Amino acid sequence: MQRMGYSFPEDVLEHVFSFIQSDRDRNAISTVCKSWYEIERWSRRRVFIGNCYAISPRMVIRRFPDVRSVELKGKPHFADFNLVPDGWGGYVAPWITAMVAGYPWLEEIRLKRMVITDESLELISKSFKNFKVLVLSSCEGFSTKGLAAIAANCRNLRELDLQESEVEDLSGHWLSLFPENYTSLVSLNIACLGCEVSFSALERLVSTCPNLRTLRLNRTVPLDKLANLLRRAPQLVELGTGAFSFELTPDVFSNLSGAFTGCKELKSLSGFWDVVPGCLPAVYPICSRLTSLNLSYATIRSPDLIKLVSQCQNLQRLWVLDYIEDAGLDVLAASCKDLRELRVFPSDPFGPEPNVSLTEQGLVSVSEGCPKLQSVLYFCRQMCNGALVTIARNRPNMTTFRLCIIEPQTPDYLTLQPLDAGFGAIVQHCKDLRRLSLSGLLTDRVFEYIGTYAKNLEMLSVAFAGDSDIGLHHVLSGCQNLRKLEIRDCPFGDKALLANAAKLETMRSLWMSSCSVSYGACKLLGQKMLRLNVEVIDERGPPDSRPESSPVEKLYVCRTVAGPRCDMPDFVWRMGEDSALRLS
Amino acid sequence: MELQLGLALPSSPTKVFDLNYYGSEPKEEEISDTWYPSSYQDINQINNKKRSFGRALESGTADRAVPRTLPLLLWNNPPDEEDDSKDLENHSSFTVDENGGDGDGAVGWPPLNSWRHKRLCHDNDPTENGYACGARGPNSTYVKVQMEGVAIARKVDLSLHHSFQTLTETLLDMFGRWLLETGQKNSNEYKLAYQDNEGDWLLTRGVSWRTFIRSVQRLKLLKSSD
Repeated sequence: MQRMGYSFPEDVLEHVFSFIQSDRDRNAISTVCKSWYEIERWSRRRVFIGNCYAISPRMVIRRFPDVRSVELKGKPHFADFNLVPDGWGGYVAPWITAMVAGYPWLEEIRLKRMVITDESLELISKSFKNFKVLVLSSCEGFSTKGLAAIAANCRNLRELDLQESEVEDLSGHWLSLFPENYTSLVSLNIACLGCEVSFSALERLVSTCPNLRTLRLNRTVPLDKLANLLRRAPQLVELGTGAFSFELTPDVFSNLSGAFTGCKELKSLSGFWDVVPGCLPAVYPICSRLTSLNLSYATIRSPDLIKLVSQCQNLQRLWVLDYIEDAGLDVLAASCKDLRELRVFPSDPFGPEPNVSLTEQGLVSVSEGCPKLQSVLYFCRQMCNGALVTIARNRPNMTTFRLCIIEPQTPDYLTLQPLDAGFGAIVQHCKDLRRLSLSGLLTDRVFEYIGTYAKNLEMLSVAFAGDSDIGLHHVLSGCQNLRKLEIRDCPFGDKALLANAAKLETMRSLWMSSCSVSYGACKLLGQKMLRLNVEVIDERGPPDSRPESSPVEKLYVCRTVAGPRCDMPDFVWRMGEDSALRLS
Repeated sequence: MELQLGLALPSSPTKVFDLNYYGSEPKEEEISDTWYPSSYQDINQINNKKRSFGRALESGTADRAVPRTLPLLLWNNPPDEEDDSKDLENHSSFTVDENGGDGDGAVGWPPLNSWRHKRLCHDNDPTENGYACGARGPNSTYVKVQMEGVAIARKVDLSLHHSFQTLTETLLDMFGRWLLETGQKNSNEYKLAYQDNEGDWLLTRGVSWRTFIRSVQRLKLLKSSD
């Protein structure tokens, strides 16, 4: 058998490897023997780094010298909910600088939860001659000035996606900086921008780019102008509308409706800002083609939602506000048999009383009626174990289950018991469950179930749950595929954490905030586990100024081979050999 | 295999590396282990040639003083008394305000990202809460502050202030490092601007504190020379 490896010339092996795209498979290939390692590393074109501090840019470039696509993630997920103070980190600048030197042929940069400056954007636009794809998902630190540099300098940009980033809107003029006969754009997502972009520039761009398939506009693009854009881009597959309210005269209405009908490939709709129900019928003609519908910013009520959704028989993904109510979800369950993903967001999460009639029943209906349902994000105000058990039994193919009962520690509303049994049923029946978010009243028991049954679980989010360290211990010792664990406001302390210290090296990251982990334990963890980056985030001042037994505000642990980072702000302390010293 | 939250013997690498070993004699809590993955062992063996847990333990005790005072590692309290330890300087309580609403909820709960927050607040009545919604969540008195010329923004808790004077002083303190670099420490050298709930930027001079606090979304420190 040993001979076979040597009988193939390198080109052949390289050709074979080119069919293997998955990172895990490539990683496995690279461990076969030295020559395979070498061939693989020279032929790897795409790198995904789930935590930008896990490795240094230099190390990446040294191992993979000819990468064309880089994806980086920065801040912890809980940064989305304001739990990570500003200035924590996630700066992409050192990566950009290193890649400018190391990857002159870089084509794609995808960032999530990172801080990127206008200077970096300008550097990207001028340094990578073949640059094609820029995706900035939930990023911040830049303005429309940076976008102007991208528009002006990137000759063959295919994709510009600003997905939910915080952009300082200085002016909408930047879009006009795309050269006159620009043809390469395939995807443009500017939905997050606040200010008005030059409509004529938009029109021009849409006209000259025959391959444009994704266009997500921002709120300022008015409905009466949408038809113009659609007529110029009948090949569109994904559209995000601007504001969806207008006094539609019959002429304007039929023009718009006709424009929608003309888009024979249109499968995904989003936007619907400020939607007025009277305008919705304009999209009825294309509903049956839709596979993805994002109405999560559309404040329309159940009857209008029902009318719309009942026509979308081929829907696979629906994001909607809880205005849909149980009645609407019943209709969804009856009409949309191909549904794979459902997200129901709260319309009034901070109100003390429910404002809509959305309960656990809606989710049960959908779980019964939609055999392909595998991904759920559901905000509601009441839940019972019975419903969760039913959902689990109905949908053993569930892979993502994120339930948010709005009031923390809400028990089963029928029995007033904890929801341990319900979530236990979920992990027991859904053997492929990869992501789980818990809520409601939960004891250590639910964690025992999770540790016992959730063998494929990769990401777990926990809030206001559990009784003691036993709970955390069950998860850390039982879930062998766990990669990301994020915990807030739970009575978990030192024991489980320290007993399972080695587990943390097999995970990407652990977040614990408002728990009972002591400063002393954090120090110990940092001192003993050299391949972990153990950070204490505490805005009250240096942890040294409080007793060792005092709990830290926030703890963030990541595995890393890059050693300490040097961009920590003054409210972050790294626990390490010299945790008394701060590296600055 | 039984897992003990106690000693991890260096000689048996299959046992979990248990840092509770240090500096204490923990009450032996026997928790039946459900599963100890064999792949775990492999990682240990492949990656830990030089730094096997056992050796790390040994080298630890030999090289440096074991941290002496780690009282939390002593599990003297039986589990149901653990609640008492919660009232340390833990300023975020586990008992959630039962009254709900009214701006008393926990930060970042329910878990909606800032995008959805903004949209919700834009669409709901902005005066429903005591202070307007928008760039900051309705349950938060923190607003983002940027200083002209400084890349990194900070956040300030407005509920701690009742006048522009204390606010400006606090802000200048916050950005102290950059001020030192540019040689300006005098609060007269900077003026404070804020973005109101309609998105307009206004100077705080000439505005009453009450008007300001009701509509402020974010702050900016501008150099007076402009």
